[in-house]
Amino acid sequence: MTVALRSVPLRVRRQLRTFLLVLGPGLVTAFADNDAGGITTYSLAGAQFGFGLMWVLLVTAIALVVTQELGARLALATGQGLAGLIRERFGVRWTAFAVFTMLVANLGTTVAEFAGVAAALGLFGVPRDLSAALSAAIVVLLLARGSFSRIQYAFVAIGAGVSIAYAVSASLAGPDWGRAARALVVPEITWTGAYFLTLVGVVGTTITPWGQALIQSYVADKGLGPRDLVPVRIDVALGSGLFTNLVAAFIIVACAVTIWANGGTIRDAADAARALGPLVGPSATTLFAIGLFAAALLGLGTVPLSSAYFACEAFGWEAGLHWRWREAPVFYGLLTFFVAAAGLFVVIPGLPLIDVMFLAQVLNGLLLPIILIFVMLLSREPRLGALRSGRVLYPLGWAITGLAAVMSITFVVSQLFAF
Amino acid sequence: MPYLSEIQHRRVIEPNGNEVGKLADIAVVPQGQFPAAQWAILSTPSGEKVVRWDDLAQEIGHFRLRNRLETTPDAQLPAEALRLARDLLDKQIVDTHGAKVVRVNDLQLSDVDGQLRLVGADVGLRGLLRRVGAESVAERVVGLAGRQLPRGIIPWHLVEPLESKNDAPAKTAAVRLTIPHAKLALLHPADIADIVEEMTADERIAVFQQLDIETAAEALQEVEPEMQAAIVSDLPEERAADILEEMDPDEAADLLQDLPEERRDELVELMEKEEAKDVEELLAHSEDSAGGIMTTDVVALPRGLTAAQAIDELRVKKPDPQLTYYLYVVDGEGKLEGVLSLRDLVVAPPETKVSEIMDPHVLKVAAETPKEDVAALIAKYDLLALPVVDARGRLRGTVTVDDVVELMLPRGWKKRSGRAIAR
Repeated sequence: MTVALRSVPLRVRRQLRTFLLVLGPGLVTAFADNDAGGITTYSLAGAQFGFGLMWVLLVTAIALVVTQELGARLALATGQGLAGLIRERFGVRWTAFAVFTMLVANLGTTVAEFAGVAAALGLFGVPRDLSAALSAAIVVLLLARGSFSRIQYAFVAIGAGVSIAYAVSASLAGPDWGRAARALVVPEITWTGAYFLTLVGVVGTTITPWGQALIQSYVADKGLGPRDLVPVRIDVALGSGLFTNLVAAFIIVACAVTIWANGGTIRDAADAARALGPLVGPSATTLFAIGLFAAALLGLGTVPLSSAYFACEAFGWEAGLHWRWREAPVFYGLLTFFVAAAGLFVVIPGLPLIDVMFLAQVLNGLLLPIILIFVMLLSREPRLGALRSGRVLYPLGWAITGLAAVMSITFVVSQLFAF
Repeated sequence: MPYLSEIQHRRVIEPNGNEVGKLADIAVVPQGQFPAAQWAILSTPSGEKVVRWDDLAQEIGHFRLRNRLETTPDAQLPAEALRLARDLLDKQIVDTHGAKVVRVNDLQLSDVDGQLRLVGADVGLRGLLRRVGAESVAERVVGLAGRQLPRGIIPWHLVEPLESKNDAPAKTAAVRLTIPHAKLALLHPADIADIVEEMTADERIAVFQQLDIETAAEALQEVEPEMQAAIVSDLPEERAADILEEMDPDEAADLLQDLPEERRDELVELMEKEEAKDVEELLAHSEDSAGGIMTTDVVALPRGLTAAQAIDELRVKKPDPQLTYYLYVVDGEGKLEGVLSLRDLVVAPPETKVSEIMDPHVLKVAAETPKEDVAALIAKYDLLALPVVDARGRLRGTVTVDDVVELMLPRGWKKRSGRAIAR
């Protein structure tokens, strides 16, 4: 009898473990996706255009699921990261180009994370140079001690908490849910430069070059194989499709009701915090600061690391935190460069933090098509076998890549004409 | 000493100087220390054409066909042939000397007795720079600082190719199996594990199919837990069961716990009765407890035995070295009564009962004890092993220091320490 009693929870736990072993890459990537830049960009979208950009979320949700699934398939079939596959298929020169693109985009993102920390701690009156130094020290310490992989769940939990806070706050403000739902499906486009700029930012913060690299290395590192396609699919659909964009939608709605409806704008973090007002009143600033801080640290622990892995995988250099400095100089060099350069950048006096966070997402959006083209070209490789993208996924992927490219080119051209 | 990147894409001309195409690739049969170039793959306006390498003559800046292209016979590449550019360049290989996976930046070829042979894989910075045409510039820049660009070439006989035939998925598995992993099998199992972790799922399976059971079991024990489960799931059941039998029962049980239930039951079913029983016993415990990490292979001496009989018993059982640190004395029901060392046993007069020489004050833990507590006890009392008993005090197994050493070390140490061992 006792045996039976004891074995029940054990069995349940084992099944859960098997499930979690496969499940996870998509969910973690999805959480990291709502980083400091994400929160800021969605807030700006809601504050400036109300429900006007909601429809973009529906499109990016589909696009994100498709692109993440394409990436996951590559990793499932080959066990390699994106960088390694690009190298094997396209040779050294194209790889150098892909790595350069990825590093530029990620450096922008890292700057945004530092700006996020600075903005969050700024709400408590902490000066920027101090917060930059502090966050750099925290990240270096956590990574060096190998405790980031454990502590990231704390950041994820805080992130989830703040996401729920946005949802509740949005409901308490009593938005017109009918209109919000309609805006999700029926585009209300404003034909202005600012609208288009924000659109690029929203796309760029949702579908990111580093997200493509991360999902792939995550799946590959877990040693998953072709037979894990179904759970990975569920994971990607839940994480990317549902979670990322649901949170984004609540942030936009909350900001639309509290800021846009009252004719306000977001100039600094304190303005953005007002969206949480309906829930916690005067404590909104504190709650927002904690959420932004956790999101930024989660990004800081992820993006520089994934950048260093990407470059090292491409060129065959030792990568990983278990190496010593002397054994993996490029890996640690890149990691240091990312943290130091981005940290120092944010210290520039008078730097508009909100703008920096937002523009980094625009940069990501502009560089995205380059990485997507590589992913698409790889997705038809014969070596993928049964995991080659088929009649639905392949054209859909190219359509998304095409749209992203058109978006980028239009933006660059319009900027050139503006000057 | 030409490099592949230097002669690939060179013009190929007919005897009369007429250009007919470019050198696309060179093929070798990967046998022997330094395989000879046997075929050339030419890219001509009408597609790829394979010719024998001897039909070409190398001249300065180009290759000249000995006969006109039309009269040069088409050659057939055998299935085991490796195309250097397609199958090796930019791919991962195993450097069996450094025991790690590296990426090929370039391939070094050399004229040996009038034969162009593949002599090494360039995995260094020079190779990368050469590929983007920046080697000489970089050389001059570094030269200004009074330094030299380091060379990173692995002699071919120390290389184990990993990938082959990217464009033939149906054939892939079969072809891969024809590449012998003989060099890999000579490495330390812990090194094999590190290398295997960097392979694709197919390659991992191929390696675990080929290694002898004992090496396979030892290597699998060193692989990261998450990947262990993936490997065992992909291997044919019979093979997986054979490897599991050969593993330490506690390691095998840990691994099985990460598998889906049906798969786990199937494998246990296929294992030999004896090993399966041990593993099933371990599976009944939570893997975070003493019962989950202990090994059931334990030396239990009945209390009535004399010293001489006990030594005979050990001769017959031939227990693993780490299980002879402590010998346990049990009564008729299997209850743990005391402990003695091998030394105690050897120095005692042959007719003495083990119950007289044993130390009755034996430190033991219950099967439910959290593994962290077990580690703490072992560390505190400087033990090499700790016996595990059930609720009625019967000896169920023992936790040796190597089962908990990972709990005592800071994270990342196990991986890192390997690099300190001189090769």
